[in-house]
Amino acid sequence: MTILLQVTGLTKQFAERVVVDGVEFTLEKNTSTALIGPNGAGKTTTLSMLTGLLKPTSGSVKMLDGNLRANIGFLPQYPQFHPWLSALEFTEMAAKLNGVPAKKAIVEAQKTLEFVGLGNDLNKKIATFSGGMKQRLGISQAIVHKPKLLLLDEPVSALDPVGRREVLDLLKGLQLETTILYSTHILNDAEEMTDQLLFLRDGKLVEQGTLREVRQRFDEPNYVVEFSTEKEAKLFASQSELVGEAKGRNVYIEIINEKPSMQELLQYLSSNPYKIRKVERQTASLEEIFMKVARKI
Amino acid sequence: MRGFTVLLQKEFREAWRSWKFLWIPLVFALLGMSDPLTNYYMMDILNAIGNLPEGFEMLMPELMPVDLLQASIGQFQTIGLLVIIASFVGAISKERASGMATLLYVRPISFGAYFMSKFIVMSTVSLISILAGFAASVYYTVVLYGTFEIGTLMASFFTYFSWLLFVIAVTLMMSAAFTTVVATACAFAVIFIGQIVDAIVGAFWTISPWKLPVYGVQLMRGTMEMSDYWWSLSITLAITIICMSIGALTMKKNASMTKI
Repeated sequence: MTILLQVTGLTKQFAERVVVDGVEFTLEKNTSTALIGPNGAGKTTTLSMLTGLLKPTSGSVKMLDGNLRANIGFLPQYPQFHPWLSALEFTEMAAKLNGVPAKKAIVEAQKTLEFVGLGNDLNKKIATFSGGMKQRLGISQAIVHKPKLLLLDEPVSALDPVGRREVLDLLKGLQLETTILYSTHILNDAEEMTDQLLFLRDGKLVEQGTLREVRQRFDEPNYVVEFSTEKEAKLFASQSELVGEAKGRNVYIEIINEKPSMQELLQYLSSNPYKIRKVERQTASLEEIFMKVARKI
Repeated sequence: MRGFTVLLQKEFREAWRSWKFLWIPLVFALLGMSDPLTNYYMMDILNAIGNLPEGFEMLMPELMPVDLLQASIGQFQTIGLLVIIASFVGAISKERASGMATLLYVRPISFGAYFMSKFIVMSTVSLISILAGFAASVYYTVVLYGTFEIGTLMASFFTYFSWLLFVIAVTLMMSAAFTTVVATACAFAVIFIGQIVDAIVGAFWTISPWKLPVYGVQLMRGTMEMSDYWWSLSITLAITIICMSIGALTMKKNASMTKI
């Protein structure tokens, strides 16, 4: 994999307050990275520094493959447009300002608007657009010049479930062509569309890695065995040589160093006279991992 | 000046679609025609609605065409400037506060080009406005009072336009530097309080941008001391360029203030 962006010691201080503190990470080409963290963690400030809107107090942002400013597309959380322009005029202007030649700009603007599903609204004034349409227009202005890096600040958090689904599908389609870094606090989105996770807390990068790596570090897997009665579940938990905790008809069995294996568990259960309804292995959701990271000292 | 033509087109579209090219010149045209008409028909107006006592007679001064143009410029200097400053003082600060600037500032544009595009559009609207104002004033003055010498009229017109360029540069610079409320207060202070100060104690000096509108009229009267005029004009244009440069720099410096 080729590295596209290298962020080193990125720090932003406002008066006495350090909002982003020595953040370091790299982004590989054509990957999708989620910047996760609670409110006030420094996600938007980090993105602002990457876009060049905010000057870092110290540290650097380097695009290894060309000029950063000319090769990024940015979508803020609540994109604001000039309402008297049409969708086509705005996207065309965005393309031209990024150096796309005039004749090509209008063609690219049309294509991009069709790609984001605004093909029938090219000449409508932005003032008449709904929130979902504005978000799609936001994506179109961010990708019309085919940037190498797409920076998205909470791209779907302001949308209703239908709009959220549409925009997520659009972004998934872009993953193959460009590198995406997006901030979010909706963890399902991150789970759905992520190669790398960056956890920010109090301005510091406290965890990073692929979803699998982070899971391995924070996951506390267990088996859930569902019995036919609550009584059986309690009996099993008290008599079993496996470490388990009964909750209702379920018994939760901890997996420590991959022990017991599923095979061992099934053998043990079949050798005892219990009526089993279901056995499954549970892994922590990203939300549970997030809570653990957020509480980590 | 990267992106200049694209940004200029965007600014023209905004001014056009928000009717600024129509309503601001219309205000100036109304201001321009009001003095020649009201002065000429003053006696008729008073007789019709003034409820004057029987046998009342008022001696009206005999006005020269240049007096009426001076009165019209007086209107431009108050209501006209108020309209121009109020219409344009948010040009940069409002875009920043609303977040509209964000999608432009993240692109590889030149802030000098962006500032310049706004300045050119504001200047064009102002040029058309005073053209409408002067045209209305001159038309009714010529019809009702008498003619002007075209050369000095043109000189007066361009002198007033130079003053407006100064007003626009100050207004835009304030917009780039501050929030809309603060920028409005500062622009009004520089332009209007500057005029008041110049009117009260300006006798001690002869060279100042705030004197230009008066000097424009004096050109028509033929009473202008030309060296004072040229110095004032030069200093006004120099300060205008300085304000534009400071404005472009502060626009860049304050780019991080844009709402994300």
